[in-house]
Amino acid sequence: MPGRFARWRSEAAYAYYFLSPAYVLFLVFLAGPLLAAIVLSLFHWELLGSAEFAGLANFARMATDPVVGAAIGNTFLFTFWSVVLHIGLALPLALAVNRAMPTVLTYFLRTTIFFPMLVSWAAVALIWKYILDPNYGFITHYLQRLSLPAPNFLIDNAWAMPAIIAVDLWKTIGFTFIIMLAGLQGIPAHLREAALVDGAGPLQRFWNVTLPLLSPTLFFATIITFIGAFQIFEPMFIMTDGGPGNRTVSMVMHIYETGFRSFDMGYASALALVVFVVIMAVTLLQLRLGRRWVHYD
Amino acid sequence: MTSGGNTSGARYVRSRRQFLRDTAALGVGLAGLTGVGGLASACGNGDSGSSDGITFIRYGDAGAAKIWAKMVELFNKDHPDIKVTVRNIAADSWAAFFDSVSVQIAGGQVPDVVHVATEGQRLFISRNLVEPIDTYIERDKAELEPYFKDVHPNLIKWTNELTSPGEETFYLPHGFNTMCIHYSTEIFQKAGVDEPGDDWTWDDFLTISRQIKTKLPQTFAMAVGATHFAGAAPWLFTNGANLLNDDWTQATADTPEAMEAAEFMRQLVAEGLSPKPGGEFDAFTAMTQGKLAMFGGGRWPTVTLRSLNYVDKVKIVPWPQKTKQGSPVGWDAYPILKGSKNKDAAWEFVKFMCSAEATKLYAEQTGTIVPPLKSIAQSEAFLKNAPAGSEKLYEALTYATPIPSPDEGSAIEHSIIDSFTQVLTGNVKPDAALKQLNQQIQAKL
Repeated sequence: MPGRFARWRSEAAYAYYFLSPAYVLFLVFLAGPLLAAIVLSLFHWELLGSAEFAGLANFARMATDPVVGAAIGNTFLFTFWSVVLHIGLALPLALAVNRAMPTVLTYFLRTTIFFPMLVSWAAVALIWKYILDPNYGFITHYLQRLSLPAPNFLIDNAWAMPAIIAVDLWKTIGFTFIIMLAGLQGIPAHLREAALVDGAGPLQRFWNVTLPLLSPTLFFATIITFIGAFQIFEPMFIMTDGGPGNRTVSMVMHIYETGFRSFDMGYASALALVVFVVIMAVTLLQLRLGRRWVHYD
Repeated sequence: MTSGGNTSGARYVRSRRQFLRDTAALGVGLAGLTGVGGLASACGNGDSGSSDGITFIRYGDAGAAKIWAKMVELFNKDHPDIKVTVRNIAADSWAAFFDSVSVQIAGGQVPDVVHVATEGQRLFISRNLVEPIDTYIERDKAELEPYFKDVHPNLIKWTNELTSPGEETFYLPHGFNTMCIHYSTEIFQKAGVDEPGDDWTWDDFLTISRQIKTKLPQTFAMAVGATHFAGAAPWLFTNGANLLNDDWTQATADTPEAMEAAEFMRQLVAEGLSPKPGGEFDAFTAMTQGKLAMFGGGRWPTVTLRSLNYVDKVKIVPWPQKTKQGSPVGWDAYPILKGSKNKDAAWEFVKFMCSAEATKLYAEQTGTIVPPLKSIAQSEAFLKNAPAGSEKLYEALTYATPIPSPDEGSAIEHSIIDSFTQVLTGNVKPDAALKQLNQQIQAKL
C-alpha cells in the first residue's frame, strides 16, 4: 500500500511538473487579472490618481448607461450571426474539401480558406476599409458598373453591422473550417461504407452517420465561435469606431472606451466582469444542452 | 490626493500606488503567485526612470527621429551634461496619444517632459500630473524675456484663461495650428475658376465648388471631414457657432448657427462636391492626382506636400466666412511632469524649446506646426518651401477660437466624430444629430 501511494505521489508530481507551465500561464494571465478586475470593479479609479471605494456603484451604473444596452444588443446580434454563419458555412466547406479529390487541390483549398486567419486584424480591417470605400472602393465600383445601389457600407445604419459580420466571417471561418475538416477526417470510413452497403443515400448517410459522429466537433466549434464572437473588438474599433450612432459598438469596445478614453477603470472592470459572466453562463448552458445532442461514442 | 491612504469623510481613499499594490497583492495572494504581470509593474515607484538625464515623450512616429536628434544636438551645445532621450508615440489622434501616455504613467514609466496639445492640457492638470513652473519663470525672467516679447499674446491669454486656469502656471505655449483652405492652383486653372480672396464667403465657396465639379466631373471640390478640429470646427466658427461655450462648461451644439453649419457641410457631400465619409480618402494624394481641388488644414499638410513635390501648386487662404472670420486654434506645450526626478534639467529643456533658435530649427525641419514666435513665423525659416499664403496661418491667431478641450475632451471627440459622420452621410438630419450631440456632450461634461 505505501509503495502504491508513493508511486501515485511520484506520478502525480510528474503530472503537475509537466502541467506547471500551463498552470503558471493560467494564473498569471487569467486568474490573476480576473481577480484584479473583481477588486477594481469595486473602486472608482481614473488610472492616474487615487482610487475610491465605490462598492457596487459601478454595477448599478450600467442600468443608466445608454451605451450598455446598445453594446449588449450588438454583441448578441453579432454573436448570433457569427455562430450561425460559421457553422452553417464551415460545415459545407469542410464536406466539400473532404470529398475525394487530388491531394494537391485539397492542400490548396485548405490553405486558401485558412489563410485569412493568419493575417492580423489590423491589416484585414484596413484592407476591407479600402475595399468598402464609398468613393473609390472595389465593391462600390463594381456595384455602380452594374447599376446597383452602392451603400456606404461602414456608415449606413442598415449596412454597418452586416459589413462587420461579413468581414469577420471572411477572416475567421478558416478556423471553424479546419476544426470541421479534422472532425470529418476522424469519422471511421467503414461506418459510412456500411451505411452505403445498407442502401443509405447521401443525405441519409450524412444525417444518420456523419452528423451524429461530428456532433462533438460541432459542439466544440459552437462554443469556441461563441466565445470568440462575444469578445469581438478589432473590426468595430478600426473600421467603424462603434458607429454609426453606436450601431456597431461591442461590449469589449465599450470596455476599451470606458477604460482608455474616459479613464474609468473601475467601471470598465465591472463591464468586463459582465462579459465574463455572460460567456461563462452561456457556455455552461451550452454544456448542459449539449448532453442532449452530442454523441461521444 | 496622491498621498498615502487617508480618509476623507466616509470615503475610503487609497493612493494609486497603494491601491495598485494592494490589488496586485490580493491577486497574487489568491493566485498563489509572485505578481500579476501588468499590475505588478504598475506598482513601480511611479517616478521618472532616469536621474542623470531626461526623457521626453512626443506625439509622432519615429520618422521624426532625425529632426529630434538635431534638436537634442542643439540643446546639448549649451547643456552637454543633460542627456535627452526622445520617445515617440505614434497615434492617430491626440486622444489616442493621451491614452498611451496615461497608460505608461500608470505603469510607472513617468517621463520628465511630455508633448501636450490643447486637447490634453486641462486633462493633465486635472490628473495632477504636471508641475507648476511659476518659480522657474520668475527665476529666469530675463532669459525668457525674448520669448514673451515675441510670442503671440493670444496664446498666452488663452493658456492662462482656458488650458491652465487658476493661480499656477503649468504651460508655456509653443507651436500651434489654425485652419485655412489649401487649394490647387493647377486645378483651379483647369476648371477656369478665379482664385479666392481672403474675404470670400460660403456662397463664393459653393459657387466655386460647383464650377469645379461641372468642369471637372472626376474632381471633388473639397474634402469635408467629420473630425472636430479639422472637420466641423472651421465651419462652425465661421458661422459664429461653437459646440461648447467660451469656458467649456456647457454644450452649445444645438444652436441654429451650428445646425446651419452642419447643414452646409452635408450639402457639400450631398451634391457630390466632397467625397463621402467613411472611407480612406487621402486628400493630399488626391489633390496631386487632380482628384481634389481644396482641403482644410493647418501647417501639417506642408510636410506631405513637400514629399509629393506639390508645394508650388498650392495656395492658402482663410476659411470662407458666413457671418465672421473664423478658425479653430490648438497649441502645443512641453510641461514638466510631477514625477520627474530631474525637474531642473527638464526646465532647461522646456526653456530651450521656447528659444528662438530651437523654434527656428523646428520650423525649418518639421513644418507640422506654426511657430509661436512672430519673428520666426514671418521669416524664411517658416515660409520657405511652403505653400504661398502660409503666413495666413499665423495671421489667423487674431480671429481664431481655441478648440474646446475640457477634461473629458477625449470622450467628447468620439461623440462629435460620430454625429458629424452621420450628418455628412445623411443618416440623420443635422438638427436631430446636433440636438443629440448636445445631450451627449452635456452628459459627459
